[in-house]
Amino acid sequence: MRIPHATAALAVLAVLGTACRPAQESSGTSYGEPLTLADTTQLAAVLENPDGYIGQKLLLAGTVVNVCEKRGCWLELGGELEHQTLRVKVDDGVIVFPMSARGRQAVVEGVMEKIDLTEEEAREQARAHAEEMGEAFDPASVTGPQTIYQLKGLGAVIAE
Amino acid sequence: MKWRKWNNILHRDLGYLCVGLTVIYVVSGVAVNHIADWNPSFDVDRREVAVAGVTPAELATPDGVHAVLVRVGLGPSYRTTFPTDSATLRIFLEDGVVDVNHETGIAAVEVVRPRPILRQANFLHLNHAKRLWTWLADLYAVALGLLAVTGLFVLKGKKGITGRGAWLTGAGIVLPLVVLWLYL
Repeated sequence: MRIPHATAALAVLAVLGTACRPAQESSGTSYGEPLTLADTTQLAAVLENPDGYIGQKLLLAGTVVNVCEKRGCWLELGGELEHQTLRVKVDDGVIVFPMSARGRQAVVEGVMEKIDLTEEEAREQARAHAEEMGEAFDPASVTGPQTIYQLKGLGAVIAE
Repeated sequence: MKWRKWNNILHRDLGYLCVGLTVIYVVSGVAVNHIADWNPSFDVDRREVAVAGVTPAELATPDGVHAVLVRVGLGPSYRTTFPTDSATLRIFLEDGVVDVNHETGIAAVEVVRPRPILRQANFLHLNHAKRLWTWLADLYAVALGLLAVTGLFVLKGKKGITGRGAWLTGAGIVLPLVVLWLYL
């Protein structure tokens, strides 16, 4: 039986389309490496004593409060307590979080890290962040060196 | 010469095969080249709406949140909320967020819509698909390399690589070298 070229091409495209879709799990869409930890750590506990978790691999759960608009290279995870968020930074292009993730529940695995910024570095980072978020930037808002705590994200599952 | 015939066949057929993805990469390449100036994948519309008189108590109930969304001209449905600071409640919509500040009485509305064609082109070009697409994109890159090399030998004579082609090929190699010399 001869298969028409158009039919064969469509079949190939369908297979490729399926193979290129992000991994769908029953609990949501997976990004990056598969999650390896079974137990989540309370985000509030991490934020209360971030130095105690530096270098540790953690599994955190919460609401995606914000996502990097241009590159999808970070998200902010909101935990159990109001006003508390932790930035999850991933390597540019390795994991790309979609903007549609905002407001979704996410489970994220990564390594807690601490970054010390000079005043100049902190100002530049605040400027870049404001520009990315379309917000006004006041250089005077940065008054000295800063310490940033963030999770270096390795993998995540974001609920649909 | 027989090798030139096969060279030209390879060049022709690879050209046909690569034209679709090349156009996609051209469109996306220009778009992401200017990422500092705009968001190449999403159209982000931001505006502020006065919601004077809104109270923390109102924002604490689903009905109150619905009412605020109607006041800012958006549908009443939303995903969830999260208080980002003591005065601001972030309301998550399917296609954006609304930050309602009960102290200033201002709602900052941000609606995000994918840019048609560009969103899809960037998705492929920046390899957001991962998985099998990584290998297909590698194959495409190899095909482009073959296309370039076979292109050198399509013609012979004065317009081939021994004549005009040599000058143009040389110019194409020198240009990036000059840029590297200037900027690196």
